[in-house]
Amino acid sequence: MRKILKTREINSFLFLAGLIFLVGLINPSFWQPVTIINCFNDSVVFTFLSAGIAFVILTGEIDVSIGAVLGLSAAVGATLLRDGYGIAAALFAAIFVGAVVGMINGIGVAVLNIPSLIFTLGVNGVVRGIIYVYTKGAWVENLPADFTLMSNRLLTKNVTYFYGAAVLVVIIGHIILTRTRKGKYFVAVGDNSAGATLVGIPADKIKILSYVLCGIFSSVAGMIYASRIGFITPTAGNGYEMKAIAACVLGGLSLTGGVGSLAGASIGAVIMSSISRILVFLGFSSDYDNTITGFLLLTIVVINTSAQNHTVRKNRHEILLVRTAQKGGEKA
Amino acid sequence: MKLSETASQGHSLFTATGITKSFGLNSVLKGIDISVGEREVLALIGGNGAGKSTLMKIIMGIYQPDEGRIFVAGERIHACKPGVSLSKGIYMVPQEPMLFPNMTVEENIIMGFHEKPAKLRKRLKEIMNEINWDLDIFRKAMSLSIAEQQLVEILRGLMRQARVLILDEPTSALTFDEVESLFKIVGDLKKKGIGIIYITHRLTEVFQIATHVAIMRDGVITLKGKISEFTRDMLVKGLLPQDCEETKKQETNEIDYIGLKPAFELIHFSGYGFWDINLKIYPGEILGVAGLVGAGRTEMALTVFGRDKTISGQALLEGMDVTGLSTRAILKAGINYVPEDRRLNGLFTISDVAANITSSLVTGKTMGRIFINKKVEYEIARRYVEGFRIRITGLDQLSGSLSGGNQQKIVIGRSLATGPKLVILDEPTRGIDAAARKDVYGIIHKLKKQGVAVMLISSDMEEIVELSDRAVVVYRGRIRGELKKREITQAGLMAASFGVGEGKQVEI
Repeated sequence: MRKILKTREINSFLFLAGLIFLVGLINPSFWQPVTIINCFNDSVVFTFLSAGIAFVILTGEIDVSIGAVLGLSAAVGATLLRDGYGIAAALFAAIFVGAVVGMINGIGVAVLNIPSLIFTLGVNGVVRGIIYVYTKGAWVENLPADFTLMSNRLLTKNVTYFYGAAVLVVIIGHIILTRTRKGKYFVAVGDNSAGATLVGIPADKIKILSYVLCGIFSSVAGMIYASRIGFITPTAGNGYEMKAIAACVLGGLSLTGGVGSLAGASIGAVIMSSISRILVFLGFSSDYDNTITGFLLLTIVVINTSAQNHTVRKNRHEILLVRTAQKGGEKA
Repeated sequence: MKLSETASQGHSLFTATGITKSFGLNSVLKGIDISVGEREVLALIGGNGAGKSTLMKIIMGIYQPDEGRIFVAGERIHACKPGVSLSKGIYMVPQEPMLFPNMTVEENIIMGFHEKPAKLRKRLKEIMNEINWDLDIFRKAMSLSIAEQQLVEILRGLMRQARVLILDEPTSALTFDEVESLFKIVGDLKKKGIGIIYITHRLTEVFQIATHVAIMRDGVITLKGKISEFTRDMLVKGLLPQDCEETKKQETNEIDYIGLKPAFELIHFSGYGFWDINLKIYPGEILGVAGLVGAGRTEMALTVFGRDKTISGQALLEGMDVTGLSTRAILKAGINYVPEDRRLNGLFTISDVAANITSSLVTGKTMGRIFINKKVEYEIARRYVEGFRIRITGLDQLSGSLSGGNQQKIVIGRSLATGPKLVILDEPTRGIDAAARKDVYGIIHKLKKQGVAVMLISSDMEEIVELSDRAVVVYRGRIRGELKKREITQAGLMAASFGVGEGKQVEI
């Protein structure tokens, strides 16, 4: 039984293992432990982004503003750091930005009932615009060294502190979502929103909460991005939403909601962020990165949706057939 | 008076008195009194639009009644929001169970409770032992049959200590064996002392499991009491309008069928939702297809129209086999379908009236080869607007802003613009006012005069009686009776629709 539940995560993990194996066959230098571990270390920004948007996707919605939220919170945090504020203050400001945007998204989707793709697309435009206004179109540079060096600090021999933190957060989030009563509400809302309301689950509140969490995770990703890159351009995080969504789908989440887990999303994030590295190892230009990401996303979504449509049609037909079934004729 | 009544029903689990509800000018419930006691199964029967679902929504606190009181075990409750009735021990098992498909049976049942899972599981096991029902609680809900899903819903209710269970048409998607086991479970629940409101469309079931019966029609209870006091025919009478005997058929001449070839014919036509349908429609004839919503008539029409797969049998249009053709080809062959839900299926609400009427011609070449010839479009549209008395401010008015009746006239008008041989009208007058209804009847008669074969699907028995030259009744996807014009009566149609008799006049 537990096995059935975990199949999707295991499938994603096997996909990742198979990918590493295949690439190594073509270029054996990929098989070095350092290279493989760096695939994980480098996925830290996407791990946070994917875990964040996983909350939203589990409830059956979508958030395409996370790339812009990452950019804005990184710009806000980095500016404070540059101007001499402490790391804690910068992180707090970034998280505040993420939470506010998340709250706006949540209210628009859950309370105003606007389709989430449209609403968050609009928010994405607004937030991206604010980055330009806030930074006046300039890069945020000259970040303090103790901040930028943080991204290199190692927890163990090869694993960075940041990735260790990401794994910890994913594990905690995963346990909350799958083991606690309230955590299961997220999946329940995505599985059957109307049914959830009927058994007393506050579906609207859960959706708003999922957007706020998504915003917070995106802003944490923004701060990590700032530390790793060392400067913030106005286009920081552009297009990251597609990669994060693709990571979730690769990790076994269903875009219709109710299926998947944070663990799956984080495995998907490693696959996604490894694609450009893999391309280099295979001797291709990393220009193909986005095309491959989009193609993977489309492939999985098309397969999932066709399977789902087929099941829906089959169930409907079965019910209709039962309705006309006769056994020896009913006595009138 | 109402107070003394409730005082005398102190033993009852659930009582509703004097419930009224209107939506705008439309009064849906006009003073409903029902009650269920311990170990009672109240069968609530009513045709489409009788107000059953509105009443249930009021009981569950989803709607507010305009007047009336609800008592649970003698205590008055103010069901102002969905949770209240639930907490007082009323649980409704919806027609389509509202489960979480990706969760297990157990997760589905204990979702929304505040106790510890271990404690809940223990209680669930106890309840399952008590009603002697076994199911793997680790199975996913999506792998369950409808019958099993219903049982999960019943368990949800029992976990909430429900004393009154409402079962909304529970057997409509069950096989015969499943119906048997459901009846057994209802029997067990009854022994437990639970009161059950059993909503159904099948009169035959009522005598099998109900202890009491109540019949609803047009927002009133027309008949209620112990089941032993009634016969089937008495129940059928309760379903009919009181002035039913007075409604007169329009005295038009019967069609002379001698030497006439059918315009349309279904031979052993089977598909999803209907089975072994045999019928003929002649040119200039209106064939009434009576029955209840969900009997399979819409599915049959949609399959003829190429929207779903045919399983076996044939559909012939003027002798030509049109079985399994695409909707495009069917339209071209001369069959037109006017759907039941105009907004969903029929009307382009944000287009203007003219574009709507001529939209089925857009694919042809009448209106210009590449660009739409506005002049031709308006000319065709004007002809129909005048002919059908569609009330509009101008041909450029947006169709979404029209009343339901006028929208319907546009949708029918549009189907005529193609010069069809067969027109299938699905509930053409549902939800439209009397004046518009008269206009729609006028259009249907006009079709008839032009020699078009008309299939009139309607749950309004009066409409079938008034318009049809012949009629068939569909019950659970099969034709239950074929009637000549002089044999068509509301009572006969109603009885057959509920699964009693063959549609010919029953003795009342």
